[in-house]
Amino acid sequence: MTFPSAGESVETAARHYTAVVPRRSGLSRKHREWLAAALFLLPDALGLFVFLGIPMVLALSLGFFEVSGFGDYTFIGLDNYRQMLKDPLFTKSLKVTATYVVIFVPALYVSGLGLALLVKQRLPFMPLFRAMLFLPNVISLVVIGLIWRFMLVERRGMVNKVLTQLGFEGRSWLGDPNTALYALLVVSIWFLAGYYMLIFLAGLQEIPREFYEASRIDGASAWRMFRDITIPLLKPTSFFVLLTATVTAVAGGQGFDLVFVMTQGGPANSTSLIVFYIYQQAFQFSHYGYAAAMASFLVAVLVCLTGILFVVTKGGRFEFD
Amino acid sequence: MGDRSLIDLPKVNRRRLLKASGAVGGALTMPYFFTRRGSAQAKKLSFWQFYSPNSSGTGVATQDQWFQDTVKAWNDQNETQVELVFTPVADYLNGSKLQTAFASGEGPDIFIISPGDFLRYANGGVLQDLTPHMDQAAIDDFYEGVIASRMVDNKVYALPMEVEPMAMYYSVEAFDSAGLTEADVPTTWEQLLAVAEKLTTDERFGVLFETIPGYYQNFTWYPFMWQGGGDFVAEDGKTSKMREPGSVAALKLWQDAVNKGIAPREVLGNGGGDIGANLVSGYCAMQNVGIWALSDLKVNNPDFKYGVFKLPLPDGGTYTTDLGGWAFCANSKGQDPETAAKFCVWALGSTAADSVQRVADWCTSAKSDMPPRKSVLENDAAKAAYAEGGLKVFAEQILPGGRAEPRLPPEVYKAVSDAIQATQLGGSDPVKAADTAATQIETFLATYKGVPIL
Repeated sequence: MTFPSAGESVETAARHYTAVVPRRSGLSRKHREWLAAALFLLPDALGLFVFLGIPMVLALSLGFFEVSGFGDYTFIGLDNYRQMLKDPLFTKSLKVTATYVVIFVPALYVSGLGLALLVKQRLPFMPLFRAMLFLPNVISLVVIGLIWRFMLVERRGMVNKVLTQLGFEGRSWLGDPNTALYALLVVSIWFLAGYYMLIFLAGLQEIPREFYEASRIDGASAWRMFRDITIPLLKPTSFFVLLTATVTAVAGGQGFDLVFVMTQGGPANSTSLIVFYIYQQAFQFSHYGYAAAMASFLVAVLVCLTGILFVVTKGGRFEFD
Repeated sequence: MGDRSLIDLPKVNRRRLLKASGAVGGALTMPYFFTRRGSAQAKKLSFWQFYSPNSSGTGVATQDQWFQDTVKAWNDQNETQVELVFTPVADYLNGSKLQTAFASGEGPDIFIISPGDFLRYANGGVLQDLTPHMDQAAIDDFYEGVIASRMVDNKVYALPMEVEPMAMYYSVEAFDSAGLTEADVPTTWEQLLAVAEKLTTDERFGVLFETIPGYYQNFTWYPFMWQGGGDFVAEDGKTSKMREPGSVAALKLWQDAVNKGIAPREVLGNGGGDIGANLVSGYCAMQNVGIWALSDLKVNNPDFKYGVFKLPLPDGGTYTTDLGGWAFCANSKGQDPETAAKFCVWALGSTAADSVQRVADWCTSAKSDMPPRKSVLENDAAKAAYAEGGLKVFAEQILPGGRAEPRLPPEVYKAVSDAIQATQLGGSDPVKAADTAATQIETFLATYKGVPIL
């Protein structure tokens, strides 16, 4: 059948066509687009709900129970939270974590930005340097931890050998409570600096060159250009770096792996980050309820910290438009 | 639009797409159901441990083989099969795999535990009673001190496969280089520190004690505490003896060794129990380690010259050592607890000759351990093994007077561990650290209602 058929006007044919073609759904264009968007988002949202949302709710609930680790649950209200207040090891692990965060975040910011400024220079072999600085990120953290543990060993490790050659006194970096956490921090920052270098590099490349050229014509020094052009225009990148570095440090993104491999929380609990203590309580002592309560507390701390960061930086803009 | 007609794509409407998706989904999921049915027909009991099948080459081949032979012998005679599941030793000791499996109701049917971890599983109610499958003669065949820490209310819940006393090993080469001979082997704590000082060089520590916090470090420290009369719990079961001079002195001994620079703050390899990475490598001259190091040295470092001696004593102290060792147990909430229990008893706790022989083989050929059963020593091959070399020293000098590794709840273990760490590496006053531990233990004991601590 063809349209219009012989002897049929275009108007009649149009009516005919309307009659035989099934009606599309009654959704408006706006609703159809909304539906399409929802369907595209559904798999991700479902994944987040199943693998993040439900476990979070379960962990929060678990904090109100005494859990044997063998299927027995006893409701104890806020007892696990009360225990946190009088547990000296919990307080100690909070202090260790606070020290870790206070050093880790600024050091990572400075080293990431410093390396980005360095490798942005147009010098020979710079792509190779960039690749080398990023290289630790492609190696397993367990392997990194084992290698550094061996390098830091007293008397036999490479670090102490070099120090001795230079006339310094070697020491047990990971076996001394006064230095173990700082040794872990060095390894953590060394591991992640290359990654944050790349993020800063992307931010630096977003800054128009005309700004630098104009200020150079005006006779601005390198420091002035860095202070008045680079830093202000890097604010969105800085926000991202500060936020992710803080979350990584508090939640033990890579800290847990390194502590597990290099120190097991020792010596004398000096490297017992809160995430490691939670792990110990849950899996070594079978105190799943108490561990869940501490994990819930940690989530609350993280929400507060990120909230403060959002407010202080005005959502990464640092100033209202 | 003209291009489309040239390509002539097949028409795909929603209904066809749904049909095709259903067919693909069905094809992918059907094997799951068939497999489930298949696995239900041929039931396999999982056996978790850290020896076998170990293809990484990090363990001792003879021990891997013993486990494989044991399981094969069972599988050849029984319809219900046993399957070995390997977990690296560090993960088994300090990891989360076993605990997570039990927490999710998916624990193994058979597994091995040390006395240090016995209470966790006994109090959790997941240990199957093995007594109904054992003859009284077989129970009596186990050394009383060894089986006691695996019993609750006269019922056996785990069967020890070995007895592992702690001792001191030394490098003959290190002794030679320091001008020392066998006559200089220390017998007191004072001599131990003095000899260690002579053996210490820029590259080598004189003596090595475990430094990594954990169950193993506690296990290695206990004999030093017992020798001077210290203990975790007093006879009344409510107070702690951590404040006793013996406990404080033991904390101080390990602290002195580190403070003098004659003992390391870190250990190499897999920790203080790894003799290859520490003593053989020359990192230390004397190492506090257990009987299992004999087989490790025999298989992995046959040319290394070493000596073994019993733990030195404090002034006025009484000799003892820690008798560790792992045991087979069955999961009472597993898929077939009765058969799992039968397997444990068949393997290690029957009066049958092959069961006794299996224990003898493990202790003398596969590994180097003292036997948990008296009848093993009536075995001719075993008798010969314990009449020479390192095993003879252990059998005649180190084992007598030993005390079984205690079974403690995690709360008590942690209090002791913190005291050891605080003094050995943290520089705390041993008296204060011991007092803190005693207070923590007593607070815990006041409300503890589980299986008795031994």
